[in-house]
Amino acid sequence: MSVQERLRRLLFLVPYVARNPGQKVAEVAAALGISSSQLLEELDLLTLVGRPPFQPDDFVDIYVDDDERVYVQLDQRLSAPPRLTAEEGVALAAAAALLKPASNDALRAALSKLEGVLPPHALERYRAMGRQLDVAEGGPDSLAELAQAVAERREVVLDYFAASRGQTEQRRVQPWELVSHRGQWYLSAFCLTRGGQRLFKLDRIAKLELTRTTFTPPAGATGAALPTSTATPVTVRFSRSRAPYVRERFGSAVRELPDGEVEVEVPGDSERWLTRWVLSFGGAARVTAPAAAIAQVERAARAVLEG
Amino acid sequence: MDRTERILDLVALLLDAQAPVSWGEIREAFPDEYSGSQDAAERKFERDKAELLELGLPITWTPATDEHLEGYVIDKSAYYLPELALAPAELAVLYAAGSAVLTSGAFPGREDLAHALRKISFFADGQLPPPKVRLELSELTGSRELPARLEALWGAINAKKWVDLEYFSPFSAQVTHRRVDPYGLALRRGMWTLVGWCHLRGAVRSFHVHRVRALTVNASKPRSADFQLPAAFSLDEYVAAWPWQHRFHPPTEVTVELRGELAPLAASLFGVTAPVSNERSTFTLSVTDLEGLVGYVLSQGPDARLLAPESAVQALRAAATGVLDAHRSSP
Repeated sequence: MSVQERLRRLLFLVPYVARNPGQKVAEVAAALGISSSQLLEELDLLTLVGRPPFQPDDFVDIYVDDDERVYVQLDQRLSAPPRLTAEEGVALAAAAALLKPASNDALRAALSKLEGVLPPHALERYRAMGRQLDVAEGGPDSLAELAQAVAERREVVLDYFAASRGQTEQRRVQPWELVSHRGQWYLSAFCLTRGGQRLFKLDRIAKLELTRTTFTPPAGATGAALPTSTATPVTVRFSRSRAPYVRERFGSAVRELPDGEVEVEVPGDSERWLTRWVLSFGGAARVTAPAAAIAQVERAARAVLEG
Repeated sequence: MDRTERILDLVALLLDAQAPVSWGEIREAFPDEYSGSQDAAERKFERDKAELLELGLPITWTPATDEHLEGYVIDKSAYYLPELALAPAELAVLYAAGSAVLTSGAFPGREDLAHALRKISFFADGQLPPPKVRLELSELTGSRELPARLEALWGAINAKKWVDLEYFSPFSAQVTHRRVDPYGLALRRGMWTLVGWCHLRGAVRSFHVHRVRALTVNASKPRSADFQLPAAFSLDEYVAAWPWQHRFHPPTEVTVELRGELAPLAASLFGVTAPVSNERSTFTLSVTDLEGLVGYVLSQGPDARLLAPESAVQALRAAATGVLDAHRSSP
């Protein structure tokens, strides 16, 4: 690890322990993203740090007691961490950009406060560097609102288009988790309207409102209901012109065929995803098994031609 | 003395000082560390100071005045992180965004981000709840190397150092050697693209990071920039956000219609705003990759159609016919 990285860590460690006295070694290590033994090494180094004239009271006094708890007695003015660097600010702003801050007041406000605490010389660099990391993903507008609802455990009312019913319905849900899976965002939630755990596609949410009602998610409430790959896999064959793309994406899972075509197996759990994916190749991709999947793509192509 | 230890001692010295600390005083305080010739000692001190400046520590040299002698100071008001005064909702959503990215596996600046998250939650009381946002960014093969490559590129972009790439093209199945001044990284549809000045082509080029087979950052003079970022540079001009934006031919206007359940989704599906009337919305796109548009529109199903020009309408029909022919159960 570079000297700089270590300095950055240590300049955070002392104020962290000063603010959170008596945390266990493992807790402090976790907060810093290092192992307990790494933490003990860092503490050893810190006990050597001080300022001239290096009298006993001039050293950082940080220690672990018999109960494995960490304390700091003398912080030598390392009472708060240094401000954010421009790089730290840019990385955080880019992460926030993924959640579409334009559509969420809380995220937008947080970002402007972040700019407020960058030192003046870093602010300029932060703005310049903002041009060099661009994550403008086509994510749904509801992302940040829902992230806020999940984080604050607030019930949400949605207008949701249920494909199986062919209509938009209002649902009241307890949002548990947001998951991006194969380029599609899902909300895993307990649906109070239907009385069960459901998975909602974010691009099917027409309107949403955060309520003031909070809830406590059950232990282990996660995206357990994510599309799983238990269905029969689907075999898709690609023309020679598309083969390089497929080899790149699927690597060793690709089956090479004698005529230069290639074949892969993909999970058969999402009809909609599969159909969309095969259609997007405009004839250069062909489902070869199972028969139900072939028929489904055929129907979709007919529907387009007849529409 | 360990170098990290010496530099931290310097920080402690400067944070405690009531007046500027002169180079003479610093040398006196660390006689063994800054020993030898004046020149060598000064160079060593400058290198130590550079580490702190790069960490953003506000160290400056100030000339003598009536009140104090010349020397180095840390501006304490600019050193200490102040309370961000984030409302709980603001912190929660910012923290959720950052954590989702950290666990996504492939995002540049992960160490910077981890530090940033620690700092923004420094003043928060109590533990933050585990953020429940998961993001998958590393689905392509070869993604095992991706996080390290992104991190190296991020470092090179920030320090403005050139990089040497072994770049694989799946279409020629060949690896070419490229020297690139890295201008920036863009994420589009789950894929990272490096945009930079390609020395081989003498032009700005974009590179898919997952196609980089080997990467070396210019290690000489790490603190001096190899290039400057052009003032008008914008990443967005070099990466396609949508499948019809690859620059394959001159732009043509294509009219798209969405019906039924797709009608209100122009913004999320096509990035444009279009009013809905009679359960339909119609809009035009500037298209430089018609094949890309056709595949994309086709994948939306029968409720997405092209209306004009006729060549585009026919291209969509031809593609749909191609799919049908490939899947026809009976002739």
